[in-house]
This record gives sequence, C-alpha cells and structure tokens, in this order.
Amino acid sequence: MSLLRYHLRKLFMIFKNEVLVLPSRIVVCIFFILLLIWPLIFEDPYAMRIVILASIFAIFAASWDLLSGFTGQINFGHALFFGVGAYGAAILNRQTGMPPWGSIPLGALIAVLAGLIVGIPCLRLRGTYLALTTLAFPIILASLIMTAPEYTGGEMGMSGLARLAMSRTANYYIVVVTMLVLVTVMWKITDSRMGIIFHAIREDELAVKAAGINTTMYKLIAFSLSGFFAGISGGLYAHFMRIAGPSTLEVSMSFQVVIWCVFGGMVTIWGPVGAVFILFPLLEFLRMWPEWRELMFALIVLIILLYMPGGLLPWVRNKIETECPRCKIRNVAFRSSCRVCAAEMK
Amino acid sequence: MKMIRRIMVILLMCAVALIVGGSAWAGDTIKIGIIGPMQFVQGKGHWNGATLAAEEINAKGGINVGGKKMKVELIQSDSNEFLNVTDATNAMELLMTKEKVDFVLGGFRTEAVLAMQDIAMEHKKIFIGCGAAHPELCTRVAENYNTYKYFFRGTPFNSKLLVKTSFLHLKFVGDILKSQLDIPALKVAIVAEKAMWADPMVTATEGFLPKIGMEVAGIWRPSAVATDLTAELKAIQSSGAQMIYTIFSSSVGIPFARQCGELKIPAVQVGINVEAQKDGFYEATQGMGNYVFTMNTYCRGVEYNDLTAPFVESYVKRFGETPPYTADTYAALVYGLAPAIEQAGTLDADKLVKVMEVGEHKVPSGVVKYMVDEQGRQLHDLTWGPGYLTSLGVQWQNGKPVGVWPNKWKATPESQEVTYKGIADYKIPPWVIEAYKKK
Repeated sequence: MSLLRYHLRKLFMIFKNEVLVLPSRIVVCIFFILLLIWPLIFEDPYAMRIVILASIFAIFAASWDLLSGFTGQINFGHALFFGVGAYGAAILNRQTGMPPWGSIPLGALIAVLAGLIVGIPCLRLRGTYLALTTLAFPIILASLIMTAPEYTGGEMGMSGLARLAMSRTANYYIVVVTMLVLVTVMWKITDSRMGIIFHAIREDELAVKAAGINTTMYKLIAFSLSGFFAGISGGLYAHFMRIAGPSTLEVSMSFQVVIWCVFGGMVTIWGPVGAVFILFPLLEFLRMWPEWRELMFALIVLIILLYMPGGLLPWVRNKIETECPRCKIRNVAFRSSCRVCAAEMK
Repeated sequence: MKMIRRIMVILLMCAVALIVGGSAWAGDTIKIGIIGPMQFVQGKGHWNGATLAAEEINAKGGINVGGKKMKVELIQSDSNEFLNVTDATNAMELLMTKEKVDFVLGGFRTEAVLAMQDIAMEHKKIFIGCGAAHPELCTRVAENYNTYKYFFRGTPFNSKLLVKTSFLHLKFVGDILKSQLDIPALKVAIVAEKAMWADPMVTATEGFLPKIGMEVAGIWRPSAVATDLTAELKAIQSSGAQMIYTIFSSSVGIPFARQCGELKIPAVQVGINVEAQKDGFYEATQGMGNYVFTMNTYCRGVEYNDLTAPFVESYVKRFGETPPYTADTYAALVYGLAPAIEQAGTLDADKLVKVMEVGEHKVPSGVVKYMVDEQGRQLHDLTWGPGYLTSLGVQWQNGKPVGVWPNKWKATPESQEVTYKGIADYKIPPWVIEAYKKK
C-alpha cells in the first residue's frame, strides 16, 4: 500500500514539476483528455467521424514526419505506405476473412515490406532526386492494382470490408486510442538514441558515417518504421471507410501529408498531429461556403506558412515558451529566471 | 463594450430564431439531399435536374403524403468526390446526421459512391444513385438485401450495358461503312485516354472487335489532358484504320476531334467522347467536331416518349444547355420517388422500398423497371433494352448534335425495330467517302 502511495506521489510530482510547468505540455494533456472524454460529452456521430478521420490522418502525418522530417529522406510518395496498408488489410479481410485486429497490423507489415522495397533503391538518392523517385511509387502501384482487378477491385477498389466495431463510439475509441499510443511511440522513438541518429543523418550524413554508424541501416529502419505507422493508418482507414480504393494512392494524398507536416511544423511529431486536428475540421467548417472552400483553405495555409515558415505550432510554442540560454531547458515565457538553473532569461 | 454586448445578444437571438424557425418549417417539408461534385458539370447536372423537379412538384402544392401535402426542400451537398473520397463520405454523413434528410440523390465516382452507400444504408435512408455506373453498387443489394435495399440506381444503366451499347454503336457505324463504301474488312483504331476507368474497356474492345469481323489496327493511349495529338493521328492514318473507337471522358476529346478534322484523317470517330456530349463542342473544336459520334442520354429533337421533349426543353430554357445524364435526378424525383411516396402514403423507407422495386414507370429517357438477378433477387438496377432504357447515339451534323441511333435497330432478329422520334440518318464524313471511293 505504501509502495502504491509512493508511486502515486512520484507520478503527481512528475506531473506537477514536468507537465504543469510548461503550457505546451498542459495543452497536450488537455488534448489527450478531451479526445478521451469527447464521446461522453458530445454524442454527435458526425463530429465523432471527423475526429476519427483526423486521428487516422494524424498517424499518417506523424509517420511522414518521422521519415522525412527527422531523417531528411523527403518522401513525396507517402501515399504508397497508406495505400499498401489499406489494400493489404482489405485483401486479408476479404480473401481470408481475417478480422480487423489481424488484418490491420499484417497490412502494416506489408507496408513495411513496401518501405524496404522503396528504401533500398532510394538509398543512393538524396534531396530532389529522392523526392521525385518516391513520387512515382504510388503511381506505379495504382497501375498494378488496375492490372489485377480480380484481387484488388480495380477502379472501384475493395468494398464491404469488416467494420472496426459496430458502434460509432467503439470505432472512435479504437482509432483515437490507437492514434494516441502510436503518436506517443513515434515521439519516444525520436527522443531516443535512434532519433538522435535520424537527426544527425539529416544534418550531416557523412559525419555520421565517419562516426562509425551504419547510416544505410538507419535509413532503412526509418523507411520501415514510417511504412509501418502509415500502414496502420491505411488499414484503419480502410476498415473505417469499409473500402480500400485507388484514391488511397493518389498524388493528392501524398501532398496532403506534406501540407499537414509543413503547416504544423516539421521535425516535431506533435506538429503534424496538431495540424491535422486543425486543418481537417477546418475544411469541414468551410463547407458553409462550398464555392470558396478550397480557395479559402489554400489561402489560410499560405498565410500561415508565409508568416510562420517554421510551422504554426512551433511558432505558437515559441511565443508562450522560451529556451534558457544556459541550460536549454524550456520555460514559460513570462519567467524571468530559468526554472532549472535559475539563469536569467533574456 | 456595451455596444459589442448588444450586438452579441442580437446575433444570438437571430441564431435562435433561425434554428427554431428553421426546424418548424422543416416539419412540413420532405428534405432531399442532392450530393455530387458540385464544382463540376456532373454535380451541376444533379442539382439542376433536382431543382427543376422540386419547382415542378412544389408548384403543384407538393407531394401528397397520407393526405397531407408536403413540399420538397432540396439540400445541396458538395461531395468533392473527384478530388477527395473522404470528403464525399463526410458530406454524406453531414446530410444524414445534421441536415437529417429523408432521401438522397446523386453521387458520381464509383469508389466514393460505394463508401457513401454504406453511410446511407447505415442510416436506413433511400439513396438513388444518379451517376455511378458500376454493377457492384446493385450487386450489393442482391447479396445483402436487408442492408442495401435502400439503394436504387437512378441513372445511368450499369457499365456492362454501357459498353454493350457502345459496341452496338460501333457495329451500327461499321455496317454503314461496309455497305456504303464497300469495305469488306474494317480496321479499328482504339484510342482511349490514359485513365484507370478506360483500361477494362480497352481490353473488352480488343476482344469484341474480331467477333464482329473487325480488325484492331492499334491501341493509342494519349494523356487525358493532351493538347496535341498529331503524332497519334498520323499513326492511326498510317495503320489504315477506317474507324476510330474513342474512349474519352476528359478534355482530350476536344483536341482529338479538332485535329482529326483539321488533318482530314480518313476514319470515322465512334464511341464515348464526353466532351462531344456537351453543347459547346462544335465551337470548342472550331467547327472540326462535325461527324463525331458519341453515346448520350439526351439530344434536342429526339424523343424516347412524350415526357422527353417537355423535360429537355424546360431544362434548356432554364439552364441554357441540353441536360447531361446526371440531370436525371429530375426523373428520379418526379417519376420515381414522388409517386412512390404518394402511393405508400408515408416517408417510411422500408415501406417505400417495397413500392419502388415493383412495377415500371415512364421517365424522359425511356421506361424504368428494376431488374432481378438470375436467382430472382432484387438488384434495384435499371433494365436495359428496347422498351426500357437504351440511350442514344448522337452525331454532330452541321454544327448540331443529331440523334442517329437507334435507327431501325433490332435487339434480336425476332424483336421489333426501334427508331425514336427525331432520329436522323448517320452521315459519313465527305473526306472519308472520298478516300475510300478512290480505292
């Protein structure tokens, strides 16, 4: 009993001293709590649908950030992983009757395979060349899908997939909890030793090689991990929409993910997630002006990027928090001295 | 500050009045969602057709629902389905849960309609598809009737039958060429835009041509947005093809027809050219689109029955163009849904399904009768053939679209000839006649 009390006390102290001291962390906590209690407050199925889809795309966006943001392997064909995950789950579900809890992770593993297939030939490429090469892969796969309509459904895709769950609320919790877990995992990966190597590869690959690190292996890991998470989001999408079609491989899908990441702030994981939760509902809100919807959306994105080139969320974060010039620990903006080293904040 | 507070109160009161007033008004209306790609011609067709129908129904006092006249209220929903399938499903969910519509009409892209269909079925709302042609939409009804029985195809007839009709057009023109130009074996160039939907059609055409004694001269797949097709046309000319079977849904249909006319390629164009279905085709091709043949649903001057001309003319008068096939939301509302509601005396979807799936009714493009499959299961798919729906073969002649098929068409050797009122003779382009008469 005392042990439990000790751990609870420790948890409370961490929460008090590590979370409550920074506005960004409080916002993340509120975001988590709000998502988890949302269906208890609002039973609106339409709003739940928007949150579900936003959660699916949040995983997708974060997975792009993991590969392209952190490792610097600019991927303009990220829809490939999403599409492979969706089709993989759909084929397994339709052909073998496998339930979603089996077909989604297995579909994601097929996406990992796709990540390796794409990653290996792309290892020799960098920058623009890599970006343009990756752009071609989803287009190639879409063509392949058309050549085997008996297995893939051709133009109309594979429909009638098993539902994730029978009720909208259950669907909501499955997707939202999966998103929260996977995004946390991705964030932890980027915060680990592997994440530091990813960063280093992006900044100076030659220097990393010189340090004796196998960059080829790490780049392949990045492709595979990114493929896995994007594959999970593709599988969730297919089972939620109950269809996996060629639209999952469209170029617009690949570019959408780039827009989310750049808008939210690259190399953060939480930036793209926040961006999806802002932009996806925003696009729905703009339905009120159907003729102007796309234009208004584009204008909003453009204005944000023009004035906040580092992304919206890092900009907001930098406004409310400052970094200690001595120990580099973040502090709330109004503090005059650092909360850790007590250095004067400029 | 007081001023701001006052404005806020007024705005709030207005919002409350709108919500209360809106819902009170909504009680006496039948809410019908019209979903489609509203920024594109297909969605505009959905909306225009439905607008015409709602005006006509409301002018007569509305629909009689169990002794109470209820007016029709249309709710427009932009599915944006060409660009974003997810968007389309959100639009459908919005119609179901926020707008609380009683019925939905529309949809175009098969992949999006399949996903939208699931949402409508979940809410047990009747959804009349007016755009997507894939048979799967109706196969689902037969295979899982209890779930999908609320879906009906409004237009067009399914894609297998569309292909069949297109092949009939090919044979029709081929027979004319054979008899008038004395060409024993025709060579056909297949020109299909580089798009996924065209792939199975190309394969089917390749297989079909030898069956009717025609030879495949070659297959050309230009980009859907190509602007210069000189190379393809020269290659077609070199191949010796007398016919060009077109499969175009995009803008490529205009430069292809224009350059074909400019170069006087000695081959006739038959098939599907969506651009040639539009009224502005002749101007767009700078007058070179003459003699192009395409499948279409409506053509001014051609009448399937007594309902065709009034609909086409009132549509042209109101919107300044010939109705596209997606404007058959008009027929689905006026001749399908409204009479069914009056007959059933209720808006209850289950009771309406029973009424809608039996019998047949006349529409401006023929007669609608819902099919059953080989096992006798309800498909809610449209019956094709003489006496039902056939569509038209339309050729541009002297700058105007003219209906040329069916012209003394017999579906089987035993069946009666079919020729609709206003059908004219097919004309072979003079440069084609000249080219083959010399030989």
